[in-house]
Amino acid sequence: MSYQNWSEKLLKIMMNADRVGAVALIDEVLTSGIGSRQIITDILDPAIVQLGRMWEQESMSLSQNFVASKIAEDILLRCIPDKSEHTHSKGAVVIGNIEDDFHSLGRKAVGLFLTAAGWDVHDLGNDVPAEELLEKAIEVNACVIGASAMMQTTALNIRKVRHLIDERGLTDRIKLAVGGAVFNWRPDLVAEVGGDGTAHNAVSADELFTRLESEVRREVKP
Amino acid sequence: MNAYQRVMNTLGGLPVDRPPVFAVLGAYGGKLTSTDLKTLYSDSSAYVAGQVALQKEIGLDLVMSAFDYTLISEAFGGEVAWFADQAPNMKRPAVRNAVDALSLPLPNPQQTARLPIILDVTRKLAALYKEQVPIIGVLPGPCILPALLVGIEQWMEAALFDQELAQKLLDHTAPFYVSWANALLDAGADCLVATESMASSDIATRNMFAGQFLPHLKSIFTQINGPKVLHHSGGRLNHVLDLLPGLNGLVGITVSSKDDLTEARQLIGPDLTLIGNLDNLTLPMISAEETYKMSMARLREAAPGGHYILCNSAADIPLTTPPENLRAMLAAASDYSVGVGGDL
Repeated sequence: MSYQNWSEKLLKIMMNADRVGAVALIDEVLTSGIGSRQIITDILDPAIVQLGRMWEQESMSLSQNFVASKIAEDILLRCIPDKSEHTHSKGAVVIGNIEDDFHSLGRKAVGLFLTAAGWDVHDLGNDVPAEELLEKAIEVNACVIGASAMMQTTALNIRKVRHLIDERGLTDRIKLAVGGAVFNWRPDLVAEVGGDGTAHNAVSADELFTRLESEVRREVKP
Repeated sequence: MNAYQRVMNTLGGLPVDRPPVFAVLGAYGGKLTSTDLKTLYSDSSAYVAGQVALQKEIGLDLVMSAFDYTLISEAFGGEVAWFADQAPNMKRPAVRNAVDALSLPLPNPQQTARLPIILDVTRKLAALYKEQVPIIGVLPGPCILPALLVGIEQWMEAALFDQELAQKLLDHTAPFYVSWANALLDAGADCLVATESMASSDIATRNMFAGQFLPHLKSIFTQINGPKVLHHSGGRLNHVLDLLPGLNGLVGITVSSKDDLTEARQLIGPDLTLIGNLDNLTLPMISAEETYKMSMARLREAAPGGHYILCNSAADIPLTTPPENLRAMLAAASDYSVGVGGDL
């Protein structure tokens, strides 16, 4: 069976929220001789991207998002013994819930999908000050900071990340992805807090981060 | 006609002088009295002073207990994060997994943490406003309550992948829920508003709500001795509205600003009161005139058949919302009732 066929099979399982079936499928794939790296990059990742596209125009419930992220997590854990095989990294990114925000579920799902897609994810957790997000991004040479907030009041704290990035002259080197329930309800808030982009759900995070990373590559000439 | 009569008549489908106007204004009371939010949510006199100031300066058709659920997570042993410009949040749940939550002792509404303060708030509001202004008690829905003990992630994990455990946790928390709801009513609340996130399409699918949570909601509602409103809790609700009529004591449903009001009415039938649909996030950014127009549009759409209360959707109105916008909501309701504003 081709990678594409396996991926389509996995997509169907994810849509049915069949967590047990997903693990069984991955076992079957491993038995067929396909390695962990290919499972992540050529089977899981395309399924996630496709899922994101399918749900882009719809209202995706937290429970659907959660099931998909758990399946991705299960697959990643199943493949961890061979994770060293996964040598190609898309690059480092830093994510965290902005200062005063404690709604971690969406951020954790984003972290999982980004990891599944091959990003080197540095997740700083909840209630992270803007300074800390930026310092970590500089330390690990991240091209994207992902700041999450669920409510409008806390989303406005992301403005400080924007300010610090610009103040330090890093506008072209570090892009700011923003996300959380409030951005789906008020898309204009993305620009208001200085975000360079958002994703409607965790599944679509890889597409967003890939776009932002390519903007950094275009803007920063070696 | 006073606010109490106006609201009761609306719920009962009787004539009113104008449609009632609500807004979720807990923290806003602290803004008017220059009280920091930690004091507001921890001191019954300070909270009631905020509600009194709101009645004097705005005069909407309700007074309410705090839309603050950290008092419940705190009563179970969780930790609270306090802010200067928004209601408190749960910083850390009492336990980290659903199994451990099954052995958490249930709080006593009369004794544990800040629960007695809210009962005292309700008693004080009743002493001031009984049968003049409706006293609304706010509490989380019974199906989202476990998230206040273990956090939303662990609750979703149980609800999605270990339904037996999820049911045990619902059963474990049910006696507390019923005792808390009835304590609010005994303290003087005229009506309870239960914000049930598990009914929202942003959290759970229709099948999940219908199969796992609706039976629990039905069971709990039969044990609460007073009128209840089911609140959308921030997400869309229309996808399950047709399942709700007939819930014991249900008198109204608060829908989100993204739910279609006309469709909502069709789904719930003519006898339940619809509440809400004004976008909470827009209110601080628009003028009083725009608020008036937005309010009038909602009234025209939903009020002609009665059983409609104009209200913001979601939780507390942002503190940056100008008081003029709240007065514009009232003005729209008054003008609507006398046929003014026809060309808007």
